[in-house]
Amino acid sequence: MEKDKQYSLLISPFLIMFVIHSNQIGVGILGFPRYIEAFAGNDSWIVVLITGTVFHVFIWMMYRILSEGNFDIVDLNNKWFGKWIGSILNCALMLYLLLGATVILRTFIEVIQAWMFPELATWIPAAIYLLLTYYVLAGGFRTVTGICFFGVIIPIWLAFTAASPAKLSSFSNLLPIMDHSLMDFVSGTKQMTLSFLGAEILLLAYPFIKKPKNSRIWAHMGVGLTTILYTMVMIVSLAFYSSGQLQQSIWSTLIAWKVVELPFVERFEYIGITFWCFVIFPNICLNIWGASRVGKKVLHIKQKYFVLILITIVFTVCILMTNRDQIDYLNTLASKIGFYFYYIYLPFIFLYSSIWRRVKKRI
Amino acid sequence: MKWFKRSASEQPSTLEEMVIDLKQSIDFVSYENKASEQPYRLIYFATLIDPEQLHRDVLPVIKDCKKKSLEELKGLIPIENIEISSKLPLIQERLLEGYVAIQLSRGSSALLVNISLRKSRDLSAPEIEFSVMGPKEGLIEDLNTNLNLIRRRIPHPRLRMKEITIGSITKTKVVVAFIEGVASEQNINTVMQRLEDLDFDVIMDSAFIGQMLEDNSKSVFPQMIDTERTDRITGHLNYGAFVVLTEGSSNALIGPINFGQLLVSFEDYYLGWNLASFFRVIRMVAILLSIIATPLYVAVLTYHYELFPSKLLATLISSRSDIPFAPVIEVLFLEVTIDLLREAGARMPSKVGQTLGIVGGIVIGTAAVEASLTSNILLILVALSALASFTTPVYRMTNTIRFLRYPLIVFAQLLGLIGVAFFGLFVLIHLLRLTSFGSPYLAPLYPPRVKDWYDSFFRMPYVMHNNRPQFFRGHNQKRFNDKKNHQKRMVDFDEQ
Repeated sequence: MEKDKQYSLLISPFLIMFVIHSNQIGVGILGFPRYIEAFAGNDSWIVVLITGTVFHVFIWMMYRILSEGNFDIVDLNNKWFGKWIGSILNCALMLYLLLGATVILRTFIEVIQAWMFPELATWIPAAIYLLLTYYVLAGGFRTVTGICFFGVIIPIWLAFTAASPAKLSSFSNLLPIMDHSLMDFVSGTKQMTLSFLGAEILLLAYPFIKKPKNSRIWAHMGVGLTTILYTMVMIVSLAFYSSGQLQQSIWSTLIAWKVVELPFVERFEYIGITFWCFVIFPNICLNIWGASRVGKKVLHIKQKYFVLILITIVFTVCILMTNRDQIDYLNTLASKIGFYFYYIYLPFIFLYSSIWRRVKKRI
Repeated sequence: MKWFKRSASEQPSTLEEMVIDLKQSIDFVSYENKASEQPYRLIYFATLIDPEQLHRDVLPVIKDCKKKSLEELKGLIPIENIEISSKLPLIQERLLEGYVAIQLSRGSSALLVNISLRKSRDLSAPEIEFSVMGPKEGLIEDLNTNLNLIRRRIPHPRLRMKEITIGSITKTKVVVAFIEGVASEQNINTVMQRLEDLDFDVIMDSAFIGQMLEDNSKSVFPQMIDTERTDRITGHLNYGAFVVLTEGSSNALIGPINFGQLLVSFEDYYLGWNLASFFRVIRMVAILLSIIATPLYVAVLTYHYELFPSKLLATLISSRSDIPFAPVIEVLFLEVTIDLLREAGARMPSKVGQTLGIVGGIVIGTAAVEASLTSNILLILVALSALASFTTPVYRMTNTIRFLRYPLIVFAQLLGLIGVAFFGLFVLIHLLRLTSFGSPYLAPLYPPRVKDWYDSFFRMPYVMHNNRPQFFRGHNQKRFNDKKNHQKRMVDFDEQ
């Protein structure tokens, strides 16, 4: 447990907003409306808002869990559950983060292959991305945060391109509001959780924040920003597509970009994908960074070398995934584990920590 | 061959030995006058001293001096900083600096008088960092003149100048100037420490020192600004930076710096804030355009031609229809030509250079298009980006920009737009990791310091410059009281 990290290596509280937001937005936003629409139809945007609210609760829980001292979740697992169970939990967390990095990298490479370079071998972009990841991680957490910051700032203008499909949309598609059953909303929320995954990085980044208690508002703003973006994309998608069309479009956001017209650009989605390289990158960096932090603490391997092992694993898995079904399977797996992480593990350690603290106080 | 009688490591042990040793150079003089009433001996390098001063101020005094001690003589010569020493290394060092050693009797001790002759050119306007507005005063090769220029601009008692000698052969004097209480002590300690740790034989120019002081010597990005403008030096000193001046160099080094400062022309401060901000933004756009214009041409024409609307595509195709090469060959050919012209222009004598540069550029450009080696659209792009690369106010940055284009062209050829994005990410990470004397290179953008933004992308009005940038981590942040400058003239519209 390193209590006194050098002050100059820590990040300002408000940067946690970019860390959380950039880790939540990933490749999912390019195609998520289809999955939600299958459950909640024209009320899908309400599902997005509900999930956003639920994640605000999760953030609140995380801050309660971390409220004492300057520990991350790895230390807390060891402290509360003992060395053996704690280590098993931590290893599971590490594998989950690694899976997250793999899923997002492979899915994005699939997007590149589907839209820009059908012939491109998977290993080339994977190798470049992972080498760049190593370069970032070698610069320390401040560099990782910097990438998160620019990963939000550089592509933020793409949000305005939603205006183009919005001009051609019929917003009456959204009516009537609230005509779905409670079960539809619940299954929609469950499905939507995959797109919101990523906030868990807070559990590991917490000790790197200067005055971590002041960062709470910024973490909430990060989730808030994610919710706004997803809601916007959802509303535009619902209004732009009819229900049947949407179900047939795997990458509905990319397809909607086709209608963007600039005087010297015809197929805007190329530019969108190019800028999406900047959105994807923080996800890979943060997930591998998180996994290497866990590995460093549990397995006592130097982060320097452990990152190399991790990127080799991610690289191997990436090139082994060759078709759409396998990638879909990985996505579903990550979504399921993420779901259990948020709806079972997190509330459980939340309750556990409250009880543990109360018991400790009494003694 | 008996040019060298002794090896360099052997040091003379007595003054006489030293005189015999130094006599091997023709400009060394050891003149003994025994005939006069007062016998004396002068030792000096004829090429280093000012003979006029010797005849006017030193010799008459010796002749008139009837007493036989160096101490008495020291009191009579009207020149400051006279030393009496018998230490051989010191005497030798002083002789090489242009001192004359005077002895009244044969012995080991000598009187050392500074009558050195300094020849340097006159002040001239800055040639590399020229500006239309603002002072036209540039540094020259003489250290004392440069220090005088700076001291005259900042007549402040806390302007400190620390000297250090670097270079085992050139013995170059290096001065670090800073304003105490404004500059951060940590930065000063760092630079002094690094200068003391330098071990090098010859220092030809401040660029030597600059490269050895940098945090990351592998980076192509300059981590110190070299400038010949005294107003830029003054401005940075006032912000809390330090300035390293080197004897024999007309460039001073400023540090720590950040990326934004490389895009600041000092003319920005002489124009109105709104105009200055506008031109600064134009400069940033120009630099971005200069780096990515030709790589984008390669990427789009090689892989993504469907990106263009059909009308624009038709123009492009018709201009490229006769060209037998792939876009990347075409681009590399033209880019190398432009760099060739630039290199040649920089080496040629100025009168030949100008004409030949223009003629060469026009002739080669037109001929290349007519011979169907390149398309005229590309010619426009290359010329524009070459022009844009010279809008950077710091010359070293210009070179960086010109260099960055080549790997980017290669990446664009390999992976199209994705390759451009990957290289962009690489440069971004590199800049994020880079520091200048421990200060983050991308500040105040990242880490975001909103308080410093008054003078980064835009130059805001001077009223808002009331605090020094946090970037320099100095103690004394306040520059002036902003209340006084806020008074606004009231008209009837403002009445209650």
